[in-house]
Amino acid sequence: MALKFHQQIISDLLEDSNGGLVILSSGLSLAKLIASLLILHSPSQGTLLLLLSPAAQSLKSRIIHYISSLDSPTPTEITADLPANQRYSLYTSGSPFFITPRILIVDLLTQRIPVSSLAGIFILNAHSLSETSTEAFIVRIVKSLNGSAYIRAFSDRPQAMVSGFAKTERTMRALFLRRLHLWPRFQLDVSQELEREPPEVVDIRVSMSNYMVGIQKAIIEVMDACLKEMKKTNKVDVDDLTVESGLFKSFDEIVRRQLDPIWHTLGKRTKQLVSDLKTLRKLLDYLVRYDAVSFLKFLDTLRVSESYRSVWLFAESSYKIFDFAKKRVYRLVKASDVKSKELVKNKSGKKRKSKGENDSVEAVGGETETNVVTGVVIEEVLEEAPKWKVLREILEETQEERQNQTLSEEESSDNNGIVLVACKDERSCMQLEDCITNNPQKVMREEWEMYLLSKIELRSVQTPQKKKQKTPKGFGILDGVVPVTTIQNSEGSSVGRQEHEALMAAASSIRKLEKTIDMASGNNNPEPHVDKASCTKGKAKKDSPSLRRSIRSCNKKTANSKAEIIKDPENEERASEASTSAPREANAVHSSGARKLPPVHFYALESDQPILDILKPSVIIVYHPDMGFVREIEVYKAENPLKKLKVYFLFYDESTEVQKFEASIRRENGAFESLIRQKSSMMIPVDQDGLCMGSNSSTEFPASSTQNSITRKAGGRKEMEKETQVIVDMREFMSSLPNVLHQKGMKIIPVTLEVGDYILSPSICVERKSIQDLFQSFTSGRLFHQVEMMSRYYRIPVLLIEFSQDKSFSFQSASDISDDVTPYNIISKLSLLVLHFPRLRILWSRSLHATAEIFTTLKSNQDEPDETRAVRVGVPSEEGIIENDIRAENYNTSAVEFLRRLPGVSDANYRTIMEKCKSLAELASLPVETLAELMGGHKVAKSLREFLDAKYPTLL
Amino acid sequence: LPLNTTQTRNAILVSHRQKGNPLLKHIRNVKWVFSDIIPDYVLGQSSCALYLSLRYHLLHPDYLYFRIRELQKNFKLSVVLCHVDVEDTVKPLLEVTKTALLHDCTLLCAWSMTECARYLETIKVYENKPADLIQGQMDTDYLSRLNHSLTSIRHVNKSDVVTLGSTFGSLAHIIDASMEDLARCPGIGERKVKRLYDTFHEPFKRAT
Repeated sequence: MALKFHQQIISDLLEDSNGGLVILSSGLSLAKLIASLLILHSPSQGTLLLLLSPAAQSLKSRIIHYISSLDSPTPTEITADLPANQRYSLYTSGSPFFITPRILIVDLLTQRIPVSSLAGIFILNAHSLSETSTEAFIVRIVKSLNGSAYIRAFSDRPQAMVSGFAKTERTMRALFLRRLHLWPRFQLDVSQELEREPPEVVDIRVSMSNYMVGIQKAIIEVMDACLKEMKKTNKVDVDDLTVESGLFKSFDEIVRRQLDPIWHTLGKRTKQLVSDLKTLRKLLDYLVRYDAVSFLKFLDTLRVSESYRSVWLFAESSYKIFDFAKKRVYRLVKASDVKSKELVKNKSGKKRKSKGENDSVEAVGGETETNVVTGVVIEEVLEEAPKWKVLREILEETQEERQNQTLSEEESSDNNGIVLVACKDERSCMQLEDCITNNPQKVMREEWEMYLLSKIELRSVQTPQKKKQKTPKGFGILDGVVPVTTIQNSEGSSVGRQEHEALMAAASSIRKLEKTIDMASGNNNPEPHVDKASCTKGKAKKDSPSLRRSIRSCNKKTANSKAEIIKDPENEERASEASTSAPREANAVHSSGARKLPPVHFYALESDQPILDILKPSVIIVYHPDMGFVREIEVYKAENPLKKLKVYFLFYDESTEVQKFEASIRRENGAFESLIRQKSSMMIPVDQDGLCMGSNSSTEFPASSTQNSITRKAGGRKEMEKETQVIVDMREFMSSLPNVLHQKGMKIIPVTLEVGDYILSPSICVERKSIQDLFQSFTSGRLFHQVEMMSRYYRIPVLLIEFSQDKSFSFQSASDISDDVTPYNIISKLSLLVLHFPRLRILWSRSLHATAEIFTTLKSNQDEPDETRAVRVGVPSEEGIIENDIRAENYNTSAVEFLRRLPGVSDANYRTIMEKCKSLAELASLPVETLAELMGGHKVAKSLREFLDAKYPTLL
Repeated sequence: LPLNTTQTRNAILVSHRQKGNPLLKHIRNVKWVFSDIIPDYVLGQSSCALYLSLRYHLLHPDYLYFRIRELQKNFKLSVVLCHVDVEDTVKPLLEVTKTALLHDCTLLCAWSMTECARYLETIKVYENKPADLIQGQMDTDYLSRLNHSLTSIRHVNKSDVVTLGSTFGSLAHIIDASMEDLARCPGIGERKVKRLYDTFHEPFKRAT
């Protein structure tokens, strides 16, 4: 069952008792590898800790899945809400556990872990480490107390291991590792094993529609324009700036690496360009991922939210993006032309123009008037995604093949016949499911109706009085592009208005239509949305959001009920298994159409489940190509060599989708090649076994080497100095400063602080701010509040402004300093802070290491801080905070932060609100009167209620 | 001290010691006059500033200490305005930081003459200004406020706010949305769905 190369990796790893770093290609099932290693672990070796970064949740669930599938006990997670004594017994139990670095470091520092009973540590995200990260801190402490504990680090992101200078080597040093194991996909053992029984692969190139090609071209042109602008700024190395590289996420990394050092000194325009390029890349992605209406809707909202800031919106080609996107959905026709056009349409039969709808418009009056005035009518185009059709064809073909097979009775018993369709996200899954269950036109139609309804809904809220000023802004780009009749109005934007009104007419007609059907269900309207309309019966008249949802849920229901009917018992079992792990249930779907389709399961790649092992599909359709998933398929096939497996890849021909996929493979290979080169020339000191560690980290920071040692271990050298200690807030363990302070020989006492981040002495309290934090917390008002609290409780309140080592040491670019005193400049804010808190001391630190130095100096003639006192400071007594509590675990911090940012909520009332109201959801449902009680005032309550209910502005 | 004459009340008082300092050329938004004062600059009833160039500090490491001692404690706010004009800043800046902190001065760093002058101007201009500006009053228009609140949730960015806003129509509806509804929004992945949902529906205080 287990893959041979996995066994090979494991035996390589076990060879060195010190551990090693394993880097393998993405998709080669890192989770299985770790699961196999965990099974080999026996309690007699000691406790094994798996460090789990918050980002690695899906890896964790995969590991658990594999272990439980082998009937072994699964490791549990040590969380902060376990009481100390229980944690201690877990640490000594000899089993493997998941634990987050933050909890582990705190437990290590408070000596809650018997380090001698540790067998070793697994680090599951080696690519996100640095010398100063908490993981390195943990390893250093563990190694100093227990030299025989092993460290095994893993990564399946080779690209991330080569970013920056000698990253892999530095990571290995930080973890005291000597062995590097590289397992690229092209490694001989790997490729032999995966290619011995390769699955049958069908590569299908779907050509994009003309409009899609047009949009893609236009987006690339705009990108090009933005890149040219960027070059003009002279801030970025020109060579890396090609449109080609702009297609990939890595582009952001390139730009960021170059701009990061000077980011806070950049002008607004350059920053805008960077974010524009991101937006454009997203557009390219959405173009091939979502349907025409959703794409248009996204563009609409972009136009509203970005209009006046963006550079790209005003680039020459961007009007084409909007124009084509619109033409994929609808076009404008002169009212007088409608009839003749309709005839043509009816003949061709492809593009539909609902006649019934048109009639109803004219019948109802009211809205029709605008139609007459403008003389323009919306004609639907509703272009379907080209892949939809192909997907359906594949499914039909599969079914046909299968029927032939059953006739000739060749079907093997292990074949459960499930077809797996893999797409990027949930939304695509649901939509494709809809497409297959119902028909594509209907899906498009629903999207379109929702689009129109959202417009009409917004109009009913935003009364016409505002419209006049608004319209010209939003439509500027489209002026003169839409080919429409005579402009009678004196207003320059009449084209936009005509279009807008025509849209409104179409929207209201949909509403009317629904009502007519509602009243007379015997209506002989041949449109496919009849059954949908009857679904929504009764609700149609109410407010539109619920209408929208009901349309959706209706569809969902029908899909489900159909699925239940055809599910055979065997499938059902599997499907229910899947539904426990997958957020969405497996739906075996049958076509309602004439031709039968096999059971289909839709899977979102982003949900990152071990779907192949759960479902054991025999046909896989990769709707959105993804390198990692392709590898997973290969591994799956290699593990089940006897199973017949057919894989279809759906690519849009000559699209960025293809380019992206191919480049991702190229990039990974390139990364491995560079790693192989690095490995051959790596300088890992022989004593890299944890005995002589003090000095090897000091190579990086010669300035601090003399004082550098481990507090607990390197006794002799330290004894002459008194052991200095610093009280550090738990939340600060996200940053690297505690690590560096510890390296400098300070004792770190982790506690939960209400006031300040670091307590250096009974009178010195420090709030640390990175540059980015500083700007943000000035804006949010947090800093003011924090400084206020520090000043209240400490004699010497200190604000530490910490610059980052690799960024330039300056506050802002010279161009940001305007000619006069402006309120929003950082200088003004800092001056104001200083004026209001004359006792506040400010430390300006060049880097982490400089900060450590400053701390040492400041502490030199001060008393040691008092832990118990520091913890009590600023904590309201009635709250009863217990000493070792971690606030973050007791509070839904995200909700609290959100709450505090709402209008009307202030420092004075947020605690009361939290006491009297359970959650944000509850808060949002309360009427003004109750809110007024909670918030202590009618005015603030009203402002909150209004904010909650305000309609989100969209293009009208 | 001639602090009370109307002519000088609205001006920065400059010590004669500062004669020839190129910084003075950059003070443009506020009037300044030479005066017989102990600190280098008097920026209001209760604030003063000492100017120090790091380069000068390297040559005369004791200068700052003696200047601060002269000030005694006549001002509520004593600023040490440090002009960072050397490449290797760590060591001299550490010394300046220490001296300022231990002798009750507030250290402000600036990287150019313009910036130095701007600090002096601003402190003078803002002498009686309330702190509203830094107390969290941000842009009050709806979109900024909505962005401000929703982006406090980790991983949620501005374009997600656009998506959420246009899908659900109002914040109350966003908060009320089911996981499934959230998942239907383009670009809102599983991780974000969970974050959003938990933020809205998990209680503020976890059960202990």
